Amino acid sequence: MSFIKNYIAQETITRRNLLLASAYGVGGAAISSMLGGMARAAITDPTVAWSYRNRTNPYWNEIVSGGEAFVESLGKPKDFLTHLINEGSSEKSLADVKALLSKTNGELALAIDTNDAPNARPVVESCVEAGAYVSTLWNKTDDLHPWDFGDNYVSHMSWSDEGPAEQTARILLDAMGGSGGVVHLGGIASNNPAIERLAGLKNALKDYPNAELLAAEPADWDTQKANQVMSAFLTRYGDDIKGVHCANDTIAYGVLEALRAEGIEDMPIVSYDGNPQAVELVGEGKILATVFTNPHWGGGITAALAYYAATGHFKPSDEPNEHREFYGPTIMVRPEDAQAFKAEYLDSVPTYDWKDFWSTSNGQIQYK
Amino acid sequence: MSNVLTRDVLIKWAPLIVLLVLVLFFTAMEPRFFSLRNFARIGISSAPALMVAIGVTFIIIMGSIDLSMEGTVSVCAVVFAFAFIALGGTLASWAWLAIPLALLVGGAIGLVNGLVHVLLKIPSFMASLAMGFVGTGFALLLTGGDRIRVEDDLFRSLLTERWFGFPIMCYVALLFLLIAWFIQSRTTLGRNFYAVGGGEELAHASGLNVNRVRIMGFALAGVFYAVGALLAVGRIGIAETATGSNFMFVSITSVVVGGTALWGGIGGVWNTLIGVLIVNVINNGMVVIGLPGYVQDGVLGILVIAAVVLSTDRKSVTFVK
Repeated sequence: MSFIKNYIAQETITRRNLLLASAYGVGGAAISSMLGGMARAAITDPTVAWSYRNRTNPYWNEIVSGGEAFVESLGKPKDFLTHLINEGSSEKSLADVKALLSKTNGELALAIDTNDAPNARPVVESCVEAGAYVSTLWNKTDDLHPWDFGDNYVSHMSWSDEGPAEQTARILLDAMGGSGGVVHLGGIASNNPAIERLAGLKNALKDYPNAELLAAEPADWDTQKANQVMSAFLTRYGDDIKGVHCANDTIAYGVLEALRAEGIEDMPIVSYDGNPQAVELVGEGKILATVFTNPHWGGGITAALAYYAATGHFKPSDEPNEHREFYGPTIMVRPEDAQAFKAEYLDSVPTYDWKDFWSTSNGQIQYK
Repeated sequence: MSNVLTRDVLIKWAPLIVLLVLVLFFTAMEPRFFSLRNFARIGISSAPALMVAIGVTFIIIMGSIDLSMEGTVSVCAVVFAFAFIALGGTLASWAWLAIPLALLVGGAIGLVNGLVHVLLKIPSFMASLAMGFVGTGFALLLTGGDRIRVEDDLFRSLLTERWFGFPIMCYVALLFLLIAWFIQSRTTLGRNFYAVGGGEELAHASGLNVNRVRIMGFALAGVFYAVGALLAVGRIGIAETATGSNFMFVSITSVVVGGTALWGGIGGVWNTLIGVLIVNVINNGMVVIGLPGYVQDGVLGILVIAAVVLSTDRKSVTFVK
C-alpha cells in the first residue's frame, strides 16, 4: 500500500505549497504591486508551475508527467515543478495563480489550462502585470492572442479534432467498402471535441455517397452509457450497421462489449485519444484506428515554452504568429503501426528535446 | 367488476400496467423493439441496476435513504478486479475468492455507513452521501485513475453465454431477486424493515431494536451493491472509479417508479424489478424509436413523474417532504 502513502505525502506537499503560497500572497501583494508592470529582460531561475484540473484523469496525469520530465531536463528534481490543481474551478485556478505570482514576485514560468475559456484573460493579464511568463493549453477565447501582450504571454497550444476525426472516418468507410450504415457515438453533446469529431465524420461521408449516417447519439465519454446506446442501435438498425465511429476510446470499449454480447466480432470501429488499452486493441485489429495527441509532450513543451521565454533563451515577440498560437501534434495509430507506436510512446516514454518547440506543430490556429 | 377493480388493486398493479403500456407503445412505434434479442439487451442493462436498486429498496422501506451506492459499487468493482487478477485471473483458480471478498467489502462499507448514520445520529441522507464520496475517493486512490481489465472468459461468460436467449447475468440477477424476496417476506429482518418504515416510534415502543435493524439494513444493501458491481464488471470487462457512475439516479428512480414509497413501509423488491424494467425500457425504447439525444433526458424525466403519479397512492400521505 506504499503507493497510497506516496500519494498522501504528495498531496500534503501540494497542499502545503499552496497554503504557503496563499500566506505569502498577503504579504507579497504590496511588493509585487510595486514591481508590477516592470519589463524584465530575463529571469535567471524562475519557478516552474503547471496549473491543471486534477490528477484523477489519465490525460492530466500524462500532462503532468511531461511537465516533470521537463524540469528534470533542467537538472532539477521532479518536485521543482509546482502543481496548482484547480479541481475544475476557474475561481480557484485564478486565485492560485495570483497567490503564486505574489510568492514568486513574478519570477514565474507558468503552464496552464485555465479550466474554461473566459478565465484565460484574467490569468494572462495577472501574469503580464507581474512580469511572469505564461503559456496556455486548450482553453482561451478567440479574441485573446499572445502577440497582443508582448513577450509575457508566450504561446497557446490547442488541438483541432475535426481533421483527424475525418481521417479515422475515411479509414472506417474504406474498411466498409465505401457503403452501408454508420452509427456515431459521441461525447457530451456541448463539448467542443465532441462537436468537432462528429463534424469530421460528416465531412468524410460527403465523399462516400453509398454510405449513410444512420444515427449519432451522445454517449457522454462514458463506457457504460456507450454500451447501452450501442445495444439500442443494434435493435433499431440490426444488420444495417456496418461500422461504428466513436468519439473517444472509452466509448469504443463500451461499443466493443455491446457487440461481444451479440457475438459480433468483426465490426469495423474507429476511435480517438490513443489510450494504452485502445492502442492494444488497435494492435489486435479490434479497433481500426485511434488518434494520439501526446499529452506527455504537450505538458512538457508548454512548461518549456514559458520557461525558455522567461530565461531569455528566445524572445517570443520575435517569433511569427504561427509559433505563438499553434495546433499540437496528432499521431494516427493503425493496426500495422500499433506495435511500433506502443514501443516508441507507451512502453517507455521517449526523451524529448524540450527546446524543439514547433517541429511537430500542425500549423497556426484558425478561427471560424 | 367494481369489487375487483378497487382503487387499491389499481394502485398495486399500476407499475406493471405502466410497463406493459410502455412496451406496447414502443412496439407500435418500432416493431423491432418487440424481439427476444432486444429484451435480452434490456435485461443486460437492467441486471446490475436491479441489484443496486434492490439494495436501496430495503433502506427506502425503512423510510431512510442511501446515496452511497456509486462509491460502494466503484470500491467493490475495483477491489474485486485487483483481487481477481492477483489470485490468478480466472474463475477456475483461487481467483473465485475475489467474489466473496467483494461481497464482504460491500457489506463492510454498508455496515460503516449504518454505524455512522445511527451512532453519530447523522441523517441517512447525509451520512450515506458522504460515505459515497469516501468510496469514490478510495476507489480512485486504489486505481490512480486507471482502468483494470477483467478478461477471463469464464467470468465474462456472465455476458457471452446465453440460456434461452438471455445471458447468464440475467439469471444471476433473478437468483438474487429471489433471495431478496425471501429476506423481505420470510425473515424477521425483512419484516422489521416494514415495521421501522411503517412507524418507527411504534416499532421502538414494541421492543424492536430499531438501531440494530437500521445498521443491518445498510449492511445488507452494501452486499447487494457489491453484486451489482460484479455484474457491472461482467458486462463491460472493466473495473474503474466510474463503474459506479449513474447508479444513484437509476436505482432510486427505479425504486420510486416501481411504487415503493419514499416515506417507507410500502413496496418491495418486486416493485423494484418492475421499476428497473420501466426505466430501462424507456432508455432503450427512446433510442430504438430514434428520439433525438437532446430530448431523451427531458422525456425520461417527464415519464418518471408520470409513472410516479400513476403508481403511488398519494391520498394516504398528508404532506410530502
